[in-house]
Amino acid sequence: MTGDDTLKEIEEAIVRGNKERSAQLVEESLSRVDPLSIIQGGMMPAMEKIGDRFSCGEIYLPELLMAAEAWDGAMKLLKPKMLEAGESIGNIGTVVIGTVQTDVHEIGKNIVATLLSTAGFEVHDLGVDISASKFIGKAEEVDADIIAASAIMTTTMTYQRDILEHLMASGLRDKYIVLVGGGVVNQKWADEIGADGYGETAVEGVRVAKELLSRRGGG
Amino acid sequence: MVSFPEILERATRGPIMSSKDFDIKVFIPKVREVVEKYKIRYDPGTPCPADDDLADRIYQAALDLYADVGTYVIDTERVIQFSREEIEDAVYEAPKEAYFGEGPDRCVFKGRKADDSEIPHCHVGSGTDTTEDVALKMVEAYGRISKAKTVSIPSVTSFGPLKSSAGSPVETLAGISMMRTGREGLRRAGRPGMGIINHMSSCAQGVSTIAASNPQFGARQSDGWLIAPHAELKIDHSSLNQVAYLTSWGANLGQEAGPIMGGYAGGPEGTAVVTTAYCFHGILVARAIYHLTYPVHMNYVCSTTPDMLYVVSTSSQAVSRNVGVPYYALGYAAAGSATKQYFYEAAAYLLAIQSSGIGIEDVHPNKAVVTNGALPIDSEFTCSFGHGMVGITRKEADQIIKRLMETYLSGIKNPPRGRILTECYDILTMRPDDELRRTYDEAIRELRGLGIRFK
Repeated sequence: MTGDDTLKEIEEAIVRGNKERSAQLVEESLSRVDPLSIIQGGMMPAMEKIGDRFSCGEIYLPELLMAAEAWDGAMKLLKPKMLEAGESIGNIGTVVIGTVQTDVHEIGKNIVATLLSTAGFEVHDLGVDISASKFIGKAEEVDADIIAASAIMTTTMTYQRDILEHLMASGLRDKYIVLVGGGVVNQKWADEIGADGYGETAVEGVRVAKELLSRRGGG
Repeated sequence: MVSFPEILERATRGPIMSSKDFDIKVFIPKVREVVEKYKIRYDPGTPCPADDDLADRIYQAALDLYADVGTYVIDTERVIQFSREEIEDAVYEAPKEAYFGEGPDRCVFKGRKADDSEIPHCHVGSGTDTTEDVALKMVEAYGRISKAKTVSIPSVTSFGPLKSSAGSPVETLAGISMMRTGREGLRRAGRPGMGIINHMSSCAQGVSTIAASNPQFGARQSDGWLIAPHAELKIDHSSLNQVAYLTSWGANLGQEAGPIMGGYAGGPEGTAVVTTAYCFHGILVARAIYHLTYPVHMNYVCSTTPDMLYVVSTSSQAVSRNVGVPYYALGYAAAGSATKQYFYEAAAYLLAIQSSGIGIEDVHPNKAVVTNGALPIDSEFTCSFGHGMVGITRKEADQIIKRLMETYLSGIKNPPRGRILTECYDILTMRPDDELRRTYDEAIRELRGLGIRFK
């Protein structure tokens, strides 16, 4: 089997969300293909395909999560090899994401986190019910580029504004791109609180994250 | 039926599991399994199927699902589990009627059947974000619609100059204020006894809901409180506290569940099953005697696309045929208020749910995310439709829906914004302006041309 065939098979296994098969193929191919080529030639095209299919409604969250699991399994095998060889995986940016204080809704946030991760971002998912200071503390700790805050209710979206006000108060506003999203959030609200970006859907959120990061000079 | 104290016991003694494991290892595989086992298929060419066998298979799939999955408790990280027999007992024992309101305004909300000739329960209003200055007028306008049996009052997220936040004292004050506003608005409409059945739309947290529910502020046992789960099939202590308080008082409890199509439930088939399974969760865990469902599309965040109409139609049929509890659905239109597209989307959604045997509520414009985006004319439309379309069958509804979709589906991605209340109503008289009246009359005329009757 040629290297190209192997990469194609890895791509297909990830698209199908077959974690065992993709891991087996990656393991077998490591003697013939270097890790970076596996990622760029097999795994990333798979996630691009998955992202496209998800955004046009051909597949749904379960299929996306299964593909992401297959991706994670393959990466676990590749990372040590890359470290041994002194290679860097290189991510396009670092995102701290969570659902705001008093809000425990997580599906939308989880989808965005998964899509960001598979789009090449390093994602730190803080979970739900996260205070402004926790968002900022984590962003400082991991030297994030983006803070992404989800809120699903009219009474919790005000905590998105808190994040921006805390950033202002601590003199960190310009350091981070702040993205907001969630059921009741709209562009008007994002503008009103001074957020940098808003995505009506998860796919749109990822597109905005990439665009804002590239405008800033990252990514 | 398993008692509420027993539910709480299971919430603290059930199997321990992380939320992620519940989603990924338990919920998703089981949904996929039952969809396959019961051969549930979605046909985009039939948004409102007239297929009793499909409805019954969805019901059986939902039973299998809930018996295996149960309800996840976020705070204890445990699962409340039920046997299939316990679920079936609960369905058998669940009240098939709910009574709301007092005096001459008292009404009964009954379960219906698909294709039947009963007038559906017409519920009006909206918990959409509304500014304090127009909230009273909105409630009064809703109350004046004589065909409306029960009402939702707006969500107000401010208290004077203070902006409300979940769990903050301002939320408690906003909730109390809105409770008083709701009662006063209905009194001004001449319907002081009308049941408000969406408490507490202004409160996200249990503590503020309970505070604002104190009878001294106007709440009555004969109103209704909606207990919301978290997607999918999860509940938290905040909601269970509301259930504990309200069951102790003997108030009417309802469930509001909004499964996400494209989320953990997967496609339309899985979402139809999960939407049905919420009914079991509602009866057992939320102690609901009435049920509001509002499945929503993950990408379009509305519910008038063909797959969403299939979800709400088939799950409603599954519930109306097999459970028979008071059940109604809330749709989200992509189009903004005061547009023709809104009325077309609303008509399609109402056709799907009325023919499928459940109660109706105003379809919310603009995906319910625009402040002051709901209009009283939406409620007039709902009630006029509900009474005019008595006896509509699923087969007839499906045909009209398909013709309606030809007019609005291309506008779902980039819908018209429309106009909000303060842009198209005289707030003093609460009358629509000439432009809105023309739009409405034109929409009605065109909808009549498609076979829709209004009364």
